[in-house]
Amino acid sequence: MLASLPYELPELVTRAPLDTHRSTVLPEWVDWNGHMNVAFYVTAFDQASGAFMRNMGLGRRYVDGKLGMTFVLETHVTYDREMKGGAPMRFTTQLLERDAKKVHLFHEMFHAEQSYLASTNETIVMNIDYATRRSAPWPLPVGERLETLWAKHRLLPKPAKAGRVMGLSKK
Amino acid sequence: MIELDAGAPFDQHRATVKSEWIDWNGHMNVGYYVVAFDQATDTLCKQFGCGFEYTRDKIGMTFVLEAHVTYDREVKEGDPLRITTQILAHDAKRIHYIHAMYHADEGYLAATNELMLMNIDYASRRSAPWPDFAMERIEKMAAAHAALPVPKQAGRLIGLPKKK
Repeated sequence: MLASLPYELPELVTRAPLDTHRSTVLPEWVDWNGHMNVAFYVTAFDQASGAFMRNMGLGRRYVDGKLGMTFVLETHVTYDREMKGGAPMRFTTQLLERDAKKVHLFHEMFHAEQSYLASTNETIVMNIDYATRRSAPWPLPVGERLETLWAKHRLLPKPAKAGRVMGLSKK
Repeated sequence: MIELDAGAPFDQHRATVKSEWIDWNGHMNVGYYVVAFDQATDTLCKQFGCGFEYTRDKIGMTFVLEAHVTYDREVKEGDPLRITTQILAHDAKRIHYIHAMYHADEGYLAATNELMLMNIDYASRRSAPWPDFAMERIEKMAAAHAALPVPKQAGRLIGLPKKK
Protein backbone atom coordinates (compact mmCIF):
# COMPACT_ATOMS: atom_id res chain seq x y z
CA MET A 1 0.00 0.00 0.00
CA LEU A 2 1.22 3.51 -0.81
CA ALA A 3 1.71 5.36 2.49
CA SER A 4 1.39 8.77 0.83
CA LEU A 5 0.87 10.48 -2.52
CA PRO A 6 3.59 12.79 -3.92
CA TYR A 7 1.25 15.67 -4.73
CA GLU A 8 -1.12 17.93 -2.85
CA LEU A 9 -4.62 16.51 -2.52
CA PRO A 10 -7.63 18.74 -3.26
CA GLU A 11 -9.84 19.90 -0.41
CA LEU A 12 -12.17 17.03 0.42
CA VAL A 13 -15.85 17.57 -0.38
CA THR A 14 -17.96 15.49 2.00
CA ARG A 15 -21.46 16.48 0.91
CA ALA A 16 -23.91 13.60 0.82
CA PRO A 17 -24.57 12.90 -1.96
CA LEU A 18 -21.68 14.48 -3.85
CA ASP A 19 -23.08 16.91 -6.40
CA THR A 20 -20.14 18.69 -8.01
CA HIS A 21 -20.01 17.05 -11.44
CA ARG A 22 -21.55 18.81 -14.45
CA SER A 23 -21.33 17.96 -18.15
CA THR A 24 -22.99 18.53 -21.53
CA VAL A 25 -24.19 16.00 -24.12
CA LEU A 26 -21.67 16.28 -26.97
CA PRO A 27 -22.94 16.21 -30.58
CA GLU A 28 -20.86 13.10 -31.31
CA TRP A 29 -22.68 11.25 -28.52
CA VAL A 30 -25.98 11.42 -30.44
CA ASP A 31 -27.03 8.38 -32.52
CA TRP A 32 -29.44 7.73 -35.39
CA ASN A 33 -32.35 7.80 -32.94
CA GLY A 34 -31.62 11.51 -32.35
CA HIS A 35 -30.64 11.12 -28.67
CA MET A 36 -27.59 10.36 -26.56
CA ASN A 37 -26.49 6.82 -27.40
CA VAL A 38 -26.50 4.23 -24.60
CA ALA A 39 -22.72 3.92 -24.61
CA PHE A 40 -22.15 7.61 -23.97
CA TYR A 41 -24.33 7.56 -20.88
CA VAL A 42 -21.64 5.18 -19.61
CA THR A 43 -18.91 7.58 -20.76
CA ALA A 44 -20.67 10.47 -19.00
CA PHE A 45 -21.02 8.37 -15.82
CA ASP A 46 -17.38 7.31 -16.08
CA GLN A 47 -16.46 10.99 -15.99
CA ALA A 48 -18.61 11.34 -12.86
CA SER A 49 -16.64 8.42 -11.36
CA GLY A 50 -13.51 10.34 -12.37
CA ALA A 51 -14.80 13.36 -10.42
CA PHE A 52 -15.40 11.11 -7.40
CA MET A 53 -11.85 9.75 -7.67
CA ARG A 54 -10.34 13.23 -8.01
CA ASN A 55 -12.08 14.14 -4.76
CA MET A 56 -10.40 11.09 -3.20
CA GLY A 57 -7.03 12.31 -4.52
CA LEU A 58 -6.83 9.96 -7.51
CA GLY A 59 -6.83 12.15 -10.58
CA ARG A 60 -4.70 12.30 -13.66
CA ARG A 61 -1.52 12.75 -11.58
CA TYR A 62 -2.10 9.34 -10.01
CA VAL A 63 -1.88 7.70 -13.45
CA ASP A 64 0.69 10.05 -15.01
CA GLY A 65 2.90 9.60 -11.95
CA LYS A 66 2.75 5.83 -12.63
CA LEU A 67 1.43 5.25 -9.13
CA GLY A 68 -1.81 3.53 -9.90
CA MET A 69 -5.05 3.42 -11.86
CA THR A 70 -8.69 2.70 -11.17
CA PHE A 71 -10.56 0.07 -13.20
CA VAL A 72 -14.31 -0.45 -13.41
CA LEU A 73 -15.25 -4.07 -12.73
CA GLU A 74 -18.97 -3.95 -13.28
CA THR A 75 -21.63 -1.40 -14.09
CA HIS A 76 -25.44 -1.30 -14.21
CA VAL A 77 -27.34 1.44 -16.02
CA THR A 78 -31.03 2.32 -16.04
CA TYR A 79 -32.07 4.48 -18.98
CA ASP A 80 -34.93 6.54 -17.62
CA ARG A 81 -35.37 9.34 -20.11
CA GLU A 82 -33.85 10.58 -23.37
CA MET A 83 -31.20 13.30 -23.53
CA LYS A 84 -30.62 15.35 -26.67
CA GLY A 85 -27.44 16.87 -28.06
CA GLY A 86 -26.34 19.92 -26.02
CA ALA A 87 -28.43 19.00 -22.98
CA PRO A 88 -26.78 20.08 -19.69
CA MET A 89 -26.27 17.29 -17.17
CA ARG A 90 -25.97 17.36 -13.40
CA PHE A 91 -24.80 14.31 -11.47
CA THR A 92 -25.09 13.14 -7.88
CA THR A 93 -22.91 10.38 -6.47
CA GLN A 94 -23.49 8.26 -3.40
CA LEU A 95 -20.89 5.94 -1.87
CA LEU A 96 -22.86 2.75 -1.18
CA GLU A 97 -20.00 0.65 0.19
CA ARG A 98 -16.22 0.55 0.30
CA ASP A 99 -13.53 -1.94 1.18
CA ALA A 100 -9.72 -2.07 1.12
CA LYS A 101 -9.50 -2.00 -2.70
CA LYS A 102 -12.93 -1.11 -4.09
CA VAL A 103 -15.79 1.34 -3.98
CA HIS A 104 -19.44 0.72 -4.85
CA LEU A 105 -20.90 3.93 -6.26
CA PHE A 106 -24.36 5.04 -7.31
CA HIS A 107 -24.67 7.93 -9.75
CA GLU A 108 -27.80 9.73 -10.88
CA MET A 109 -27.87 11.87 -14.03
CA PHE A 110 -30.34 14.75 -14.19
CA HIS A 111 -31.18 17.19 -16.94
CA ALA A 112 -29.62 20.24 -15.27
CA GLU A 113 -32.32 22.69 -16.38
CA GLN A 114 -35.47 20.56 -16.58
CA SER A 115 -34.42 18.56 -13.50
CA TYR A 116 -35.77 15.21 -14.66
CA LEU A 117 -33.89 12.00 -13.89
CA ALA A 118 -32.32 10.78 -17.13
CA SER A 119 -30.40 7.73 -15.96
CA THR A 120 -28.77 5.94 -13.04
CA ASN A 121 -25.50 4.02 -12.84
CA GLU A 122 -24.36 1.64 -10.16
CA THR A 123 -20.71 0.74 -10.49
CA ILE A 124 -17.78 -1.02 -8.80
CA VAL A 125 -14.37 0.63 -9.17
CA MET A 126 -11.14 -1.03 -8.04
CA ASN A 127 -7.71 0.38 -7.27
CA ILE A 128 -4.92 -1.01 -9.49
CA ASP A 129 -1.17 -1.05 -8.96
CA TYR A 130 0.45 0.68 -11.93
CA ALA A 131 3.35 -1.73 -12.43
CA THR A 132 1.56 -5.06 -12.01
CA ARG A 133 -1.85 -3.95 -13.38
CA ARG A 134 -3.33 -5.97 -10.52
CA SER A 135 -5.65 -4.94 -7.70
CA ALA A 136 -4.04 -3.18 -4.73
CA PRO A 137 -5.25 -1.53 -1.51
CA TRP A 138 -6.12 2.17 -1.68
CA PRO A 139 -3.20 4.49 -0.87
CA LEU A 140 -3.33 5.36 2.85
CA PRO A 141 -4.58 8.96 2.46
CA VAL A 142 -7.26 7.76 0.03
CA GLY A 143 -8.48 5.14 2.50
CA GLU A 144 -8.74 7.88 5.14
CA ARG A 145 -10.74 10.11 2.80
CA LEU A 146 -13.06 7.25 1.94
CA GLU A 147 -13.77 6.69 5.64
CA THR A 148 -14.49 10.40 6.15
CA LEU A 149 -16.90 10.36 3.21
CA TRP A 150 -18.43 7.06 4.29
CA ALA A 151 -19.30 8.52 7.69
CA LYS A 152 -21.64 10.94 5.85
CA HIS A 153 -22.86 8.76 2.99
CA ARG A 154 -23.76 5.75 5.13
CA LEU A 155 -26.60 7.85 6.57
CA LEU A 156 -28.26 8.30 3.17
CA PRO A 157 -31.14 5.97 2.29
CA LYS A 158 -30.36 3.26 -0.26
CA PRO A 159 -31.53 4.51 -3.68
CA ALA A 160 -34.59 2.73 -5.07
CA LYS A 161 -32.80 1.90 -8.30
CA ALA A 162 -29.73 0.37 -6.63
CA GLY A 163 -29.36 -3.40 -6.45
CA ARG A 164 -31.47 -4.17 -9.48
CA VAL A 165 -31.53 -7.54 -11.21
CA MET A 166 -32.67 -7.44 -14.82
CA GLY A 167 -35.59 -9.47 -16.06
CA LEU A 168 -38.97 -9.33 -17.72
CA SER A 169 -41.81 -8.99 -15.25
CA LYS A 170 -43.58 -12.30 -14.85
CA LYS A 171 -47.28 -12.22 -15.58
CA MET B 1 -34.84 -9.27 -45.17
CA ILE B 2 -31.58 -11.12 -44.67
CA GLU B 3 -31.54 -14.85 -44.09
CA LEU B 4 -32.26 -15.75 -40.48
CA ASP B 5 -29.33 -17.16 -38.52
CA ALA B 6 -30.74 -19.51 -35.89
CA GLY B 7 -27.34 -20.55 -34.58
CA ALA B 8 -27.13 -20.69 -30.79
CA PRO B 9 -25.69 -18.42 -29.59
CA PHE B 10 -25.94 -15.90 -32.44
CA ASP B 11 -22.32 -15.52 -33.52
CA GLN B 12 -21.93 -13.05 -36.37
CA HIS B 13 -20.63 -9.82 -34.92
CA ARG B 14 -16.93 -8.97 -35.33
CA ALA B 15 -15.10 -5.71 -34.60
CA THR B 16 -11.66 -4.27 -33.94
CA VAL B 17 -10.68 -2.03 -31.02
CA LYS B 18 -10.14 1.44 -32.51
CA SER B 19 -7.41 3.82 -31.36
CA GLU B 20 -10.01 6.38 -30.26
CA TRP B 21 -11.54 3.78 -27.92
CA ILE B 22 -8.37 3.74 -25.78
CA ASP B 23 -8.09 5.81 -22.59
CA TRP B 24 -5.22 7.02 -20.41
CA ASN B 25 -5.00 3.59 -18.79
CA GLY B 26 -3.88 2.21 -22.17
CA HIS B 27 -6.89 -0.05 -22.72
CA MET B 28 -10.38 0.15 -24.16
CA ASN B 29 -12.40 2.61 -22.09
CA VAL B 30 -15.51 1.38 -20.26
CA GLY B 31 -17.80 3.50 -22.45
CA TYR B 32 -16.45 1.99 -25.67
CA TYR B 33 -17.08 -1.56 -24.52
CA VAL B 34 -20.70 -0.42 -24.62
CA VAL B 35 -20.21 1.17 -28.07
CA ALA B 36 -18.91 -2.21 -29.28
CA PHE B 37 -21.80 -4.04 -27.62
CA ASP B 38 -24.34 -1.58 -29.04
CA GLN B 39 -23.00 -2.32 -32.53
CA ALA B 40 -23.51 -6.02 -31.78
CA THR B 41 -27.10 -5.14 -30.84
CA ASP B 42 -27.45 -3.54 -34.30
CA THR B 43 -26.22 -6.80 -35.88
CA LEU B 44 -28.81 -8.68 -33.82
CA CYS B 45 -31.65 -6.27 -34.70
CA LYS B 46 -30.84 -6.56 -38.42
CA GLN B 47 -31.73 -10.25 -38.04
CA PHE B 48 -35.32 -9.34 -37.36
CA GLY B 49 -35.59 -6.32 -39.60
CA CYS B 50 -35.13 -3.65 -36.92
CA GLY B 51 -31.70 -2.30 -37.89
CA PHE B 52 -30.76 1.08 -39.33
CA GLU B 53 -33.33 0.94 -42.16
CA TYR B 54 -36.12 0.41 -39.63
CA THR B 55 -35.37 3.86 -38.21
CA ARG B 56 -34.25 5.52 -41.47
CA ASP B 57 -37.58 4.55 -43.03
CA LYS B 58 -39.38 6.00 -39.97
CA ILE B 59 -41.04 2.72 -39.01
CA GLY B 60 -39.67 2.37 -35.54
CA MET B 61 -36.69 2.42 -33.23
CA THR B 62 -35.28 0.25 -30.48
CA PHE B 63 -34.37 1.77 -27.11
CA VAL B 64 -32.29 0.20 -24.36
CA LEU B 65 -34.05 0.34 -20.99
CA GLU B 66 -31.35 -1.15 -18.83
CA ALA B 67 -27.85 -2.54 -19.18
CA HIS B 68 -25.40 -4.46 -17.01
CA VAL B 69 -21.76 -4.82 -17.98
CA THR B 70 -19.08 -7.05 -16.47
CA TYR B 71 -15.54 -6.01 -17.35
CA ASP B 72 -13.67 -9.29 -17.24
CA ARG B 73 -10.38 -8.56 -18.96
CA GLU B 74 -8.59 -5.70 -20.74
CA VAL B 75 -8.43 -5.36 -24.53
CA LYS B 76 -5.95 -3.12 -26.34
CA GLU B 77 -5.89 -1.06 -29.52
CA GLY B 78 -6.19 -3.21 -32.65
CA ASP B 79 -7.45 -6.28 -30.80
CA PRO B 80 -9.98 -8.31 -32.79
CA LEU B 81 -13.33 -8.83 -31.05
CA ARG B 82 -15.92 -11.55 -31.45
CA ILE B 83 -19.29 -10.89 -29.85
CA THR B 84 -21.91 -13.61 -29.37
CA THR B 85 -25.52 -12.99 -28.37
CA GLN B 86 -28.04 -15.09 -26.49
CA ILE B 87 -31.73 -14.18 -26.18
CA LEU B 88 -32.83 -14.92 -22.59
CA ALA B 89 -36.49 -13.87 -22.77
CA HIS B 90 -38.88 -11.79 -24.81
CA ASP B 91 -42.38 -10.42 -24.67
CA ALA B 92 -44.66 -8.40 -26.96
CA LYS B 93 -42.46 -5.28 -26.80
CA ARG B 94 -39.11 -6.25 -25.31
CA ILE B 95 -36.20 -8.63 -25.56
CA HIS B 96 -33.82 -9.54 -22.73
CA TYR B 97 -30.48 -10.79 -23.99
CA ILE B 98 -26.81 -11.03 -23.16
CA HIS B 99 -23.73 -10.38 -25.28
CA ALA B 100 -20.35 -11.98 -24.59
CA MET B 101 -17.23 -10.27 -25.97
CA TYR B 102 -14.19 -12.42 -26.67
CA HIS B 103 -10.70 -11.62 -27.87
CA ALA B 104 -11.13 -13.20 -31.31
CA ASP B 105 -7.60 -14.62 -31.55
CA GLU B 106 -6.78 -15.45 -27.95
CA GLY B 107 -10.26 -16.65 -27.12
CA TYR B 108 -10.57 -15.12 -23.64
CA LEU B 109 -13.76 -13.50 -22.36
CA ALA B 110 -13.25 -9.71 -22.19
CA ALA B 111 -16.71 -8.53 -21.08
CA THR B 112 -20.41 -9.32 -20.98
CA ASN B 113 -23.41 -7.04 -21.48
CA GLU B 114 -26.92 -7.96 -20.39
CA LEU B 115 -29.60 -5.74 -21.91
CA MET B 116 -33.29 -5.00 -22.00
CA LEU B 117 -34.34 -3.61 -25.36
CA MET B 118 -37.77 -2.20 -26.20
CA ASN B 119 -39.48 -1.58 -29.50
CA ILE B 120 -40.52 2.05 -30.04
CA ASP B 121 -43.08 3.55 -32.39
CA TYR B 122 -41.33 6.12 -34.57
CA ALA B 123 -44.01 8.81 -34.50
CA SER B 124 -44.99 8.71 -30.82
CA ARG B 125 -41.54 7.69 -29.45
CA ARG B 126 -43.46 5.39 -27.13
CA SER B 127 -43.25 1.63 -26.62
CA ALA B 128 -45.11 -0.50 -29.14
CA PRO B 129 -45.43 -4.23 -29.87
CA TRP B 130 -42.82 -5.72 -32.19
CA PRO B 131 -44.03 -5.75 -35.80
CA ASP B 132 -45.20 -9.24 -36.91
CA PHE B 133 -42.19 -9.70 -39.19
CA ALA B 134 -39.86 -9.06 -36.26
CA MET B 135 -41.77 -11.12 -33.70
CA GLU B 136 -41.78 -14.15 -35.98
CA ARG B 137 -37.99 -14.03 -36.22
CA ILE B 138 -37.43 -13.19 -32.53
CA GLU B 139 -39.45 -16.27 -31.63
CA LYS B 140 -37.37 -18.47 -33.93
CA MET B 141 -34.11 -17.16 -32.51
CA ALA B 142 -35.37 -17.39 -28.93
CA ALA B 143 -36.47 -21.00 -29.51
CA ALA B 144 -33.01 -21.86 -30.82
CA HIS B 145 -31.37 -20.13 -27.85
CA ALA B 146 -33.66 -21.70 -25.24
CA ALA B 147 -31.50 -24.83 -25.13
CA LEU B 148 -28.42 -22.86 -24.05
CA PRO B 149 -27.52 -22.66 -20.37
CA VAL B 150 -28.06 -19.23 -18.80
CA PRO B 151 -24.62 -17.57 -18.52
CA LYS B 152 -23.46 -16.95 -14.95
CA GLN B 153 -23.08 -13.23 -15.75
CA ALA B 154 -26.85 -12.90 -16.38
CA GLY B 155 -29.09 -11.70 -13.55
CA ARG B 156 -26.26 -10.31 -11.47
CA LEU B 157 -26.67 -8.01 -8.52
CA ILE B 158 -23.88 -5.46 -8.00
CA GLY B 159 -22.20 -5.33 -4.62
CA LEU B 160 -19.06 -5.81 -2.61
CA PRO B 161 -18.62 -9.18 -0.90
CA LYS B 162 -19.97 -9.12 2.64
CA LYS B 163 -17.58 -9.94 5.45
CA LYS B 164 -17.54 -9.90 9.25
